[in-house]
Amino acid sequence: MDRDIKISIRNLYKIFGPTPDVALEYVKQGMGKAELLEKHQHVLGLQDINVGIREGHVTVIMGLSGSGKSTLIRHLNRLIEPTAGEIQVDGENVLTYDQDRLRNLRREHMSMVFQKFALLPHKTVLENAGMALSVRGHKIEAFEAAAKKWIARVGLEGNEYQYPHQLSGGMQQRVGIARALASDSPVMLMDEAFSALDPLIRSDMQDLLLELQDELHKTIVFITHDLDESLKLADHLVILKEGCIVQQGEPQEILMHPNDPYIVNFISDINRARVLRVRSIMKKTTEAPDNVAGDIGERDNLESVIALSGGDTSLVYRVVRKGQQVGVLEVQDLFKALVPTESPEGDTRSHY
Amino acid sequence: MATYDFLFSSLGLTKWCAEGKSDAPMSMAALLNKSKGTEAQTQSLWDVPFPSMDALNDSCAAFPQSRDLTQGLEQGFLAVKDNLSIVLDPITQPLSWALDGTLYSMTTTPWWIVIPILLAVVLVVTKSWKLVGFVASSLCLLAFIDYYEYAMQTLAIIFVCAFICVLLGVPIGIGMSRNNVMQRLTIPVLDMLQTLPPFVYLIPLIFLFSVTESKLYGIAIILYAIVPVIRMTNLGIRLVDPDVIEAANAFGMTSRQMLYKVQIPLALPNIMAGVNQTIMMSLAMVVIASLVSAPGLGVLVLQGIRNLELGVGLVAGLGIVILAVILDRVTKASLARINASQKQ
Repeated sequence: MDRDIKISIRNLYKIFGPTPDVALEYVKQGMGKAELLEKHQHVLGLQDINVGIREGHVTVIMGLSGSGKSTLIRHLNRLIEPTAGEIQVDGENVLTYDQDRLRNLRREHMSMVFQKFALLPHKTVLENAGMALSVRGHKIEAFEAAAKKWIARVGLEGNEYQYPHQLSGGMQQRVGIARALASDSPVMLMDEAFSALDPLIRSDMQDLLLELQDELHKTIVFITHDLDESLKLADHLVILKEGCIVQQGEPQEILMHPNDPYIVNFISDINRARVLRVRSIMKKTTEAPDNVAGDIGERDNLESVIALSGGDTSLVYRVVRKGQQVGVLEVQDLFKALVPTESPEGDTRSHY
Repeated sequence: MATYDFLFSSLGLTKWCAEGKSDAPMSMAALLNKSKGTEAQTQSLWDVPFPSMDALNDSCAAFPQSRDLTQGLEQGFLAVKDNLSIVLDPITQPLSWALDGTLYSMTTTPWWIVIPILLAVVLVVTKSWKLVGFVASSLCLLAFIDYYEYAMQTLAIIFVCAFICVLLGVPIGIGMSRNNVMQRLTIPVLDMLQTLPPFVYLIPLIFLFSVTESKLYGIAIILYAIVPVIRMTNLGIRLVDPDVIEAANAFGMTSRQMLYKVQIPLALPNIMAGVNQTIMMSLAMVVIASLVSAPGLGVLVLQGIRNLELGVGLVAGLGIVILAVILDRVTKASLARINASQKQ
């Protein structure tokens, strides 16, 4: 296993019901979710989940409602106990922790941001931001400076002494993020953190998160049902469907090579030109091509290249990273890549 | 011949019945029948009595009469009474001290000290000068018609009893909210306390304690008034937003931190609503408790009923209404202040 894996989830199962252990045996023998519910009245929450969450990266877990993504993230700090499997944080199995060590893990190592903000309504913004520190037993004088720093960092300077109900939704979630950052924990769990916000503010918050991440390099686990959001944020994308992982990997890779009709259907509606980046479709070569029309960056999205080329499909661009050529992009290939990829089984979209 | 003779003879219990003492007191109906000489008429189906204890006793003398049941209960209670008082007396003694002490200090302290203190308390909890003015004029009105001392006695009893209700009720409510078994066990008791007619509390208490002791009415008031604060504390804590609870858990709060930093503060509006109800119910009970020597405005109401002094009874009733309005407005105003600071 890689050294930089921070959290490793192995063979995780979660079954809801009165006798999950019995139901687990049926699931391991291959019984599906619907059959389990019908015959044994147990709900299969998660099935054989294996994910390695890398240190300093943003891992996005995406799925529609009911896919088990919120259940999965709550396993990481054991707000929900698994039925079977292992969760390792820094090589230690969290499931063997007793109450004290678990509390320590939640206080020092993992912070969480919630979809519905979940701020304390009777505390000021300042006290809310310092909640993690006050839980550890610090007095308000001790954490005031740290809390103020993070409140300012998320752009809420001057609101320290207001109460949550006096703030808009976007501002409340900024407090939620400040609260998680102020705990100074290496891992941040974000449960649909931006889903309750309107689209413009959501986009602002995503930018804020990326900006903070560039600076802080936290290990972030982000849950969302929004594909655009997951493509924007993810270093590693995990797609869940009905409690199983359908595909996981680098987002560009998933876009170019979806391995399941479910994902094909999912990605068919997105604006590929905006999401796909040059490096995913370029030809890797250091040989300089003839008639170079110009240089483009490997992280540029295709939209910007189309704009640059003015729609001329005959052009060829040099792809550079820090001044060095890493590949070549023909605009013709670019336009081909804009057509959604078919899944290996052919077009199955009509099934959905 | 009685209706249910056949039952005992078919069960082969005739002999056992015959052994029953035949000198049991005669029931009124039997006596009437006997005097009229209409005994042992053939009964029509229309008149068949329900097989009650008394009807069965007619057929079988060994079968207990229903008066034996009430008598047995009384005997049983009297038998355990002495032992019960040995336990209950010392436990409840502080209640007597608290009531006597508060009554003494509120009635002997001169009016020009007590009234300003009360007004200051109103100002602190409500931050409303309007309400202070209302309370001041109400108290002055009561004092002007020479009901000041009675009103202070009633207030003193309510303060002590409501305080003890909160002191006991909030922890019980918290316990119920954290433990479903405790909730299931407590709710029937609360239902019973709430529906039992207030006079019924007084009956066993009179046997247990002497009527001269103030804890007698203190206990009656507390039992009657404690229900809402328990219920509302339980409800308030159970209604705390589960998302906030989850967040508190995710940040590693201990259950003690959770209780004091999250659950109680967020349940406070509901708890205060319960306290308001508790105060109003202790005011209702303090009037009834005047039957067992509770001092205050209730004594005047009772005097009005007993001696048919219409004016005294009505004015005392009006005084109680004024106290009720004061207590309700003040607790509601402080509740509104808490609510305003906690809007979601």
